[in-house]
Amino acid sequence: MLTIALPKGALLGDSIQLLQRVGLDFSSFLAPENRQLQIEDPTCQARALLVRTQDVPVYVGYGQAQLGIVGYDVLREKTPQVAQLMDLGFGQCRLSVAVKATSPYHTPQALPPYSRVASKFVHCAHEYFQQLNLPVEIIPLYGSVELGPITGMSEAIVDLVSSGKTLRENGLVEIEILFQSTARLIAHPLSYRLNTHNLQSWSNQLAEL
Amino acid sequence: MVYQSPTGARDLLPLEVAQKRWIEEHLQRVFHSWGYHRIITSTLERLDTLMAKGAIDSRTVFHIQGVGEELLGLRPELTASIARTVVTRMDGVSFPQRLYYTANVFRRSSASTHNSQQEFYQAGVELLGAGELAADAEVLLLLAESLESLGVCPGETGWQLLLGEASLTESLLREFPPEWQPQVRWGIAHLDRVLLATLPLNLQTQAMFLLDLRGEPRHILTKLSHTPLTPAQAVTLERLESLVDLLEGAWGPKFPLVVDLSLTQDFAYYTGIIFEVIGHTPHGPRVIGQGGRYDQLLGVYHPRGETQPGIGFSLHLEELHQMLSAASQLPQCSPGPEALVAALTPPAQPAAFAVAREHRRTHPQARVVMDLGHEQPVDRERVLAYAREQQIPAVLWVDIQGQVSPEFLD
Repeated sequence: MLTIALPKGALLGDSIQLLQRVGLDFSSFLAPENRQLQIEDPTCQARALLVRTQDVPVYVGYGQAQLGIVGYDVLREKTPQVAQLMDLGFGQCRLSVAVKATSPYHTPQALPPYSRVASKFVHCAHEYFQQLNLPVEIIPLYGSVELGPITGMSEAIVDLVSSGKTLRENGLVEIEILFQSTARLIAHPLSYRLNTHNLQSWSNQLAEL
Repeated sequence: MVYQSPTGARDLLPLEVAQKRWIEEHLQRVFHSWGYHRIITSTLERLDTLMAKGAIDSRTVFHIQGVGEELLGLRPELTASIARTVVTRMDGVSFPQRLYYTANVFRRSSASTHNSQQEFYQAGVELLGAGELAADAEVLLLLAESLESLGVCPGETGWQLLLGEASLTESLLREFPPEWQPQVRWGIAHLDRVLLATLPLNLQTQAMFLLDLRGEPRHILTKLSHTPLTPAQAVTLERLESLVDLLEGAWGPKFPLVVDLSLTQDFAYYTGIIFEVIGHTPHGPRVIGQGGRYDQLLGVYHPRGETQPGIGFSLHLEELHQMLSAASQLPQCSPGPEALVAALTPPAQPAAFAVAREHRRTHPQARVVMDLGHEQPVDRERVLAYAREQQIPAVLWVDIQGQVSPEFLD
């Protein structure tokens, strides 16, 4: 049976709506009392796995799910071996460099060498500063990255920004955008090549919406 | 200090060895029956040899400091080593040469995977000095027979073959304007439709067409034949069509072939057909083998650049092992001894060793083990308990005169 990995959190609602439009209903994941991590759609055509957004490309990369929905930011950070089939358009955000509003540094290039940069996106941040040829110390954090500059632990952060409200409320300003991100439909490369579980026709149906 | 095997390495215990040998012996029987000879090449090679003029990415090779300035590496695959051997050591042999190997290979895993395997076992063949269509067919039919001998059936529950053509795909890629080629190549190799969708519209259509050249062989080849082709492309396409006919005629209509012209391989030395063997396991499809035609590789190692065509495949034994374990075709225990020889008293031990020796001589297949106790007299219960635990069906008691009294256990 076709298995689709769905991300918990911000992209889940839109992902479920999208699949409903091709006749796959996984809306019971949204019920507040739901504790199930794996459900079949009522027509028994497909199964969905509910996983953390960073884990979507892992399940798809190992072929436990043939399809998945995940943000481009995660794909950039993890560089998994998956096929990117479609830009789904929703879940718009950007990965940005931000500093305290009172910071003397108005561009990333202006940061002094060996500055500290806090981020959940260690790989992307490292790659970006390496391209600038600016040596920085990346401090890996798992959440509330804004606290880095507020507490003085780091001069800057690299984090996802959607509306910019969180940054503003914490007295931070965006000084550079690394890249824009949206949700992507991804596939297990071998299953895609072999058209396992009629994967091609599902992805075509989604493309035609 | 705790001694462990290094990251990514693993030890094989007797049962795993018995199962691995079962697979290797079945494959070897088929390789022999097609007239292939085993070749053993060095695990260590000069780095230059392994990289085959840049065809293999040196970051995937374990480097080793040789004597003096010589840089060595652990082989990541066998084809380059065999090509080097044939060119430098087998001067004057007649072609075609049919060679096979079972050997370990080493690959450095990328930093993003933790503790993934770095030593692998492979069994494969190389057919050298034959560039004909029939050579392509021979190697693919030999592959099919090899898998059949392991009880893996063709089709969507067993194995399938993804078949591409390196030179055809390359020439289709070269039709793109040079400035767009890197992006198109990346997009095709990584099945990245989102990236290809950012190309200018006319190139996008062309790239998507190439990306989607995949599926039922005749359907795909016909689709390609309806596009404008260069004479060279038309010749390659015709050869692919003939190969499909030949395979189906020789093997029956069920040769499990999926043509995939977006297929590219990590090893850049391929010049003709390339393929991946896919095994369907309960946990999804896995690549259990791969191969292709390399008509320029031997020339890399020849002092005057003279080359010979070549084609081969390798099967990944760990993947096959996992796939077969799920289907329980493999032996479930490593073979135990058939007899335990025990001296009744310590002075009878010379006689006991003599009896065991005679038993092995007259029963060449038998496994005979010695009791190593030295009580005076022997503790029969201890010996019998050991035999039961090891599931040895017979104990041969030997006295000082060499008289044998067998005792059979249920």
